[in-house]
Amino acid sequence: MATPTPSALADDEVQRYARHLVMPEVGRDGQERIKAARVLCVGAGGLGSPLLLYLGAAGVGTLGIVDFDVVDVSNLQRQVIHGTPDVGRKKLASAAERLRAVNPHVQVRPFETRLTSQNAMEILQDFDVVVDGTDNFATRYLVNDACVLSGKPNVHGAVFRFEGQASVFSAPGGPCYRCLYPEPPPPGTVPSCAEGGVLGILPGLVGLIQATETLKLLLGKGDPLVGRLLLVDALAMRFREVKIRKDPACPVCGERPTVTGLIDYEAFCGTRGGPLEARGMGAEMTVEELAARRQAGDEPLLLDVREPHELRICSIGGLHIPMNEVPARLGELDPSRELVVYCRSGARSGQVVAFLRQRGFARAVNLTGGILAWADRVDQKVAKY
Amino acid sequence: MKLTVKLFATFRQGRFAEAELELAEGTTLGSLADGLRIPREEIGILMVGGRHAELAHRPAPGDVVAIFPLLGGG
Repeated sequence: MATPTPSALADDEVQRYARHLVMPEVGRDGQERIKAARVLCVGAGGLGSPLLLYLGAAGVGTLGIVDFDVVDVSNLQRQVIHGTPDVGRKKLASAAERLRAVNPHVQVRPFETRLTSQNAMEILQDFDVVVDGTDNFATRYLVNDACVLSGKPNVHGAVFRFEGQASVFSAPGGPCYRCLYPEPPPPGTVPSCAEGGVLGILPGLVGLIQATETLKLLLGKGDPLVGRLLLVDALAMRFREVKIRKDPACPVCGERPTVTGLIDYEAFCGTRGGPLEARGMGAEMTVEELAARRQAGDEPLLLDVREPHELRICSIGGLHIPMNEVPARLGELDPSRELVVYCRSGARSGQVVAFLRQRGFARAVNLTGGILAWADRVDQKVAKY
Repeated sequence: MKLTVKLFATFRQGRFAEAELELAEGTTLGSLADGLRIPREEIGILMVGGRHAELAHRPAPGDVVAIFPLLGGG
């Protein structure tokens, strides 16, 4: 990436960035480069929140944000750009307001949309660096391919529970996300942070590694995380590093690329229509149907496959066997009986239903949308988490 | 041969965080994952002695193998 052409600082900006200006690695020239820079952050969630705050405070002149979501109270444990009064607001509006308060010199360019194959190249074209703060594999592959095809660096970060990773992909001569992960994981096999949780601080840690790498790219200083994947283990507080080589056979950045334009990433990741349909399951029961059966005194056996600590948050009843224990505890279940399997969102229970059906439980069905759907549409007293 | 195997994130559930395992010499990392019931397609990163390795790699006695799942959350 060519570092941005410097943009002159006003007097009040000289004061604001004084601690940068005294460092020879930044100085007035560097700060003017930062001011002239245009950084696009895809997602204003766990990773996007800290990195946008710090890039804004550091004086990045233009911050683009792509997001279509609204602030949920469960976001606040880690999405520090949003506050309690912002619950229910568009994340874009909340993030833009906070950034203007942090630094009025920053121009915020909001894109209230999902990043798609149709709009990605147009959105990316006005930016120098792209930061990936997304929470799903389809968008991660889309961000990667769009960055490779437009020759822009992709500052990557991902988190789950106590672990995270960061790298800089698609830099000149360096590998891309597909060099590391040529194929997406089978749908439903990698739990999301909503399913498995995430330590609130972790996206802060990883997001600020992304922010640091972004500033280094803009300044043209230091050794960027190109060709290296940084693995963060917060429980052990260990940082490991894995070398990543550019794959000559990579379909996007290799010697003979076969992906020369953006593709259908939902299809590529097998997530169109939801992971359950994608895996050919489809044995489902709606929460309304279960509620009606319960009211009529004809309730089927419920099987809760969540972890024990989730059971302490809320429950809608039934037998409890955590997902990982189901194979060893099949003897506790009657294969001839109707069985409605549930979890928080319906993702894990969908996998359990598929497993049970393979083992002859022909009447096992998944409670579509899980406890979240039950809390939304049947009983609002059940806690959502 | 003895190997130290370290598992991360979701791979620890129902398994272990770190264990010393006795395996036949010549065992590949892919066979090691199969034995631990870790689906190969769910593996994000394999490391032997801190270096990136492939499923077909045959670790040596005493090696430390680390298996990481894919991370996608944000």
